[in-house]
Amino acid sequence: MKKQPFTTAADLKAFSQAHHETAAMTAIRMTALQQYLDLPLAEFPKINYRRWLLDEGQPFVANNTSVVAQQPITVNVDQQGTKPATIKLSAEAQATGVVVLDFFTAQAQYPELFAKYYMTLALPKSAHQLAAYHAASVNSGVFIYVPQNVKLTEPLTLNFQQDTTTGQTYVHHVLLVAGEDSDLTILESRQSDDEQVISGNIVEELILEQGAHVHFTAIDRIQTVAYLARRAYLMKNARLDWALGLMNDGDILSDFNTDLVGEGSHTEFKAVAIATGSQSQGVTTRITNYGQHTEGNILQHGVILSDATLIFNGIGHIVRGARDSDAQQENRVLMLSRTARGDANPILLIDENDVRAGHAASVGRVDQSQMYYLMSRGLSKDVAERLVIRGFLGSVLAEIPSAEARDALKRTIERKLIDGQKHRDSAE
Amino acid sequence: MANLTVKNLHVRVDDESEHKEILKGVNLSMNSGEIHAIMGPNGTGKSTLSETIMGNPRYTITEGDIILNGESLLGKPVDERARAGLFLGMQYPAEIMGVTNAEFMRSAINARRPEDNPISVRAFIKELDKNLEILDMNEKMAERYLNQGFSGGEKKRNEILQLLMIKPTFAILDEIDSGLDIDAMKVVAKGVNSMRSDDFGALIITHYERLLDYITPDVVHVMMGGKVVKSGNASLATKLEDEGYAGLRDELGLDVKLTDEE
Repeated sequence: MKKQPFTTAADLKAFSQAHHETAAMTAIRMTALQQYLDLPLAEFPKINYRRWLLDEGQPFVANNTSVVAQQPITVNVDQQGTKPATIKLSAEAQATGVVVLDFFTAQAQYPELFAKYYMTLALPKSAHQLAAYHAASVNSGVFIYVPQNVKLTEPLTLNFQQDTTTGQTYVHHVLLVAGEDSDLTILESRQSDDEQVISGNIVEELILEQGAHVHFTAIDRIQTVAYLARRAYLMKNARLDWALGLMNDGDILSDFNTDLVGEGSHTEFKAVAIATGSQSQGVTTRITNYGQHTEGNILQHGVILSDATLIFNGIGHIVRGARDSDAQQENRVLMLSRTARGDANPILLIDENDVRAGHAASVGRVDQSQMYYLMSRGLSKDVAERLVIRGFLGSVLAEIPSAEARDALKRTIERKLIDGQKHRDSAE
Repeated sequence: MANLTVKNLHVRVDDESEHKEILKGVNLSMNSGEIHAIMGPNGTGKSTLSETIMGNPRYTITEGDIILNGESLLGKPVDERARAGLFLGMQYPAEIMGVTNAEFMRSAINARRPEDNPISVRAFIKELDKNLEILDMNEKMAERYLNQGFSGGEKKRNEILQLLMIKPTFAILDEIDSGLDIDAMKVVAKGVNSMRSDDFGALIITHYERLLDYITPDVVHVMMGGKVVKSGNASLATKLEDEGYAGLRDELGLDVKLTDEE
């Protein structure tokens, strides 16, 4: 990113005031602007994103010619571009006191929660330049608070769509606070158009208070260049199940981080990714065991077509004192072309003796004897390839507990593969 | 009536270490409605012939032609040959994780139908149940991953199940009897016999005569040294069983070394 201010202090203050932000939020922005100038770029092993246009666009000015087609809303939260979120809560969510608010409304209504959790624990704004940029220039988002002991039976569905036609950088924030012993499922869908190269800087912070249990499923279909951070902070005995489908078409720097801070906290991270065309997806998934008796497992499988690049970093870090902890990971990449570039890079950092840790990683090509066998039954090369890929991703898919999420992801995978094959076959 | 003709076929295998000519001028012609058997000693090119007809890219044709209904198959990829009506029951079917048997067979059937007219679930299941019964197979087999963890006998049965579901014009069955006990062999034979009709032909490649006790061939070919050296009716198989390949070789005065001979 350019090491020059993307805005002036005066413009930043004006934007904050125009959105009726709290004084606290204005102060956060002003500090972050300075930090942005001072901090280094975020480092991700084997991912070089210095040439990516991660700050394309102007965060505070939208060109008003935007014509986003409004979709019929069948979700709880729908947010088009940087416009205020449309929120329709189910009767169940309303009755139990679940709070879902647009980012700008929420900070005035829940100043204590913002002070405590907004860019402090899951992703401190001082972490690196991308985080500071985000804190300074956030221009849209939602806040979700599920109170103590609330157990939702229906998932909360979130639909976020970036609109590049406005020329506005998409700086989007989700702050989710799951109160003590709450239980909920999130089904998130992220998309963008590709009308212009306008970057995204997306940060989602999940705070799980003691005993909270969250299923977090997301399907990403972003077509622009973006930094996409999903960062979780788990307190005692909290449990977080991730299921992510990284079906983006743009260059995406994914930063998935789970801090197992509370004793007995546990996360299962599962992701499938497909890279097609000439895109790059750099995925860094890190779980840090801070608390005793914590468990964190990573399972990520990815497929690469054409000239695309896909890097999986899996980082399992057990800090000193996190006794009786467990960190396992499996990273696998399947390459379908000679020009694909892929890496599965497991990193275990163990500073404690009384732990269990392990990893498996592979980068391979499609087995030609499998292809021959399938094609000998009349399947075209493309269909045979999709079956082998589905099989390869299937072991991750099978572990996604929600049938609805699983089916949605299967459909997205099929579509992304067909598009990727079309692109490849027309290039050949 | 459909016809499959192999004309003066010469085939080379390109391994990293060797470039060896395995087939040295094979001639063969069969019509639908007929069952042909190819017998021959080990290492004589029977599997090479079947894989080459199907279009395995490991084998290179240096001379000759393979003709289906008057049209050359040379240069056509394996999937096109399959859709044109060929089927190869393989000796070593691949195992594919995460793809169920049923899903795979449906895809194979749909690959032969117009894109906007896939087989209905009901019709597929009806056909599947019928064929599972013929082959004395448990219906759970359909939901298992393709050949994954199947025993040798289960894999062979599964090849025949696919044959029955896909209904090709010509099936080449490559040592479909190897590793089968007598009961399993009878089941496999029952499956093949259930396909018999004027619109179906089979080329059965076998080492032993025993399978031919259960599937009576119309024509028997004997291959030795990369060629068909003799063709005849079913009695040729019986004669071979009695006299062995060495006997036939000596009778024909061939200069061929049998690999099992020391």
